[in-house]
Amino acid sequence: MFGLEISKVTKAFGAHLAVDDVSLSIPQGEFVCFLGPSGCGKTTLMRMIAGLEQPGEGSIALNGRDITRQPANVRKFGMVFQSLALFPHLSVGENVAFSLRLQGQDARQRKARVDELLTLVRLPGMEKRAVSQLSGGQRQRVAIARALAQEPPIFLLDEPFSALDAKLREEMQIELRLLQKRLQITTILVTHDQREAMSMADSIAVMGDGKIQQYGSPLSIYRAPANTFVANFIGLSNLLPVEVLDHETVRFGANILKVAPMTQPTSARGLATLSIRPEDIQLTAANGAGDNTVSGRITFIRDMGSSVEVHLDCDGRDVLSVVQPRDWMGAGTGDIAHLRLPQNQCRVLAA
Amino acid sequence: MTDLAVPLKTDAEAPDRDPVVLAGLLSLPTLFLIVLCLIPLFLLVQLSFAHREDGGLWRAGLELTQYRQLMTPQFLKVALFSFTLALTTAVISVALAFPVAYFISRMKRRAQITWLVGLLSTLSLSEVLIVFAFQVLLSGSGGLVKTLVALGVMEQAHSLYPNFAAVMVCLVYLVLPYIILFLYPAMSQLDDDIPAAATTMGASPARAFLTVVAPMVKGPLLSAGLLVVIFTVGSYLTPLVLGRPQQWTVGILISNGAMTTGNLPLAAAQAVALVSLMVGLLGLVRLLSRAGSPAS
Repeated sequence: MFGLEISKVTKAFGAHLAVDDVSLSIPQGEFVCFLGPSGCGKTTLMRMIAGLEQPGEGSIALNGRDITRQPANVRKFGMVFQSLALFPHLSVGENVAFSLRLQGQDARQRKARVDELLTLVRLPGMEKRAVSQLSGGQRQRVAIARALAQEPPIFLLDEPFSALDAKLREEMQIELRLLQKRLQITTILVTHDQREAMSMADSIAVMGDGKIQQYGSPLSIYRAPANTFVANFIGLSNLLPVEVLDHETVRFGANILKVAPMTQPTSARGLATLSIRPEDIQLTAANGAGDNTVSGRITFIRDMGSSVEVHLDCDGRDVLSVVQPRDWMGAGTGDIAHLRLPQNQCRVLAA
Repeated sequence: MTDLAVPLKTDAEAPDRDPVVLAGLLSLPTLFLIVLCLIPLFLLVQLSFAHREDGGLWRAGLELTQYRQLMTPQFLKVALFSFTLALTTAVISVALAFPVAYFISRMKRRAQITWLVGLLSTLSLSEVLIVFAFQVLLSGSGGLVKTLVALGVMEQAHSLYPNFAAVMVCLVYLVLPYIILFLYPAMSQLDDDIPAAATTMGASPARAFLTVVAPMVKGPLLSAGLLVVIFTVGSYLTPLVLGRPQQWTVGILISNGAMTTGNLPLAAAQAVALVSLMVGLLGLVRLLSRAGSPAS
């Protein structure tokens, strides 16, 4: 099979299981994000893919060939480090040409390739500069060019944009995505920023506690989180404790609610968690409005201009609803409002 | 460096007080420098050109008699030995301190502090104490020799000093804590991702060390070596106690000249020669390191 195949990889540091039985297959040419909070094992997993750490158990294969025991300098997966790890004693051009020099290319070949790469990352003519003379965004581009110089089979990036300011980060994300599409290179990016993952990746692997919690396209993960961890980590979710009545009916306090049909039959009459996105809740002032409604008291309103965030107290639970200004009924704190929870947006997760 | 920069910056914000405060702060150290360093140095230089008289006396003058006496093979041999000893000590102690400082900087924070405090506490021992402790340790009836004989490594108990090795070992012991503490900040700043980045680009671990790590630590290692040379080139007690006359340094020669022979002008000239050689060496290293570093 073409692509990267990770099977049952486990890595422990002392008593701490950093990566716990992870299996993942990444098709050739895909852009995958490892997304998770700090300490979830995403960087360790990436370092094992690069060959900088040895897995305790499990195997890694590239295009069907086992590379678990291959050292990093034989794999030669280009990697951009969080600290960038540019060589301070070398110029920009020498940094980019580092792998080419190791391959034994002559000066003329190296120069041509460096020019090509610096043009690719939009830094033409900068090869003579010292690394210390560059701005944050320029260093980023040099690190990317350096990692791509050897034409790596896999391109790895470990939180590469975390040191950049918000505006520059967004620019670099778009640039990297365009570059990746153009080069058709299998790319893995580690991040804790869900916005970054959502906007760039073909697939996201959400990691928590050393395990992959969910693997799928950004939209499927956002729309159908597999568990409360994913629902909480990707975007904002209202998580309400409910009692399951049947495969599409639950009880929340005194309210009976219809929910999206559950795929795996939850144990009948068990406790579960209902997850709904703030923007999916419809707020009305009208009394006794239709099915699937819950009433709540408005506790706090934040008008952000482009949207209105309304916090409500429903049955002792804090519920957040985000409404568009044109749909906003204009109530005040302390008013009673009705929340309509569309059936298909209500997902029941294991408690 | 940053600690120094901060108060200077706040001084600049109050421009009317600035020169007064600065002068006040610097006057005491300047006075110390003049009284305790420059004046004695001037007297030493003056003495080295003086005319020697019998009975340890001398008369002010301007003659080169003493400097002519330095141009004897005897003195040149001792001077050469002093520098060889200092350079050898530098190479050995830096080679030992480099990995130690590196591994300490990679330990957990608590372990790092324990090690650094331990190293600092060894500095509280005086040089005299250490040298005589080595004398006891290396003596024929000392514990080390007895252990070696008991283990069968040594056939018959005999003293392990005086000789060059004993002098060397003691000097390395004396400078090692300083050099580890000197190298520790530089090692802490060394980013582990840098050699890792080199390996992901196809460099073997050895190659990564040579092409990336070595150039980055070259400066601190060179400075550390120079520090050892400055420390040990004037060593006196260690070679006197643990060495044979062949291992005597310029320091011992100066002391002998002044105390035993009573030839103070000659001792002064020897001291001036030693200081000049050291300054020359520093200048040479500065010149070489400037030529070697890229313009940035």
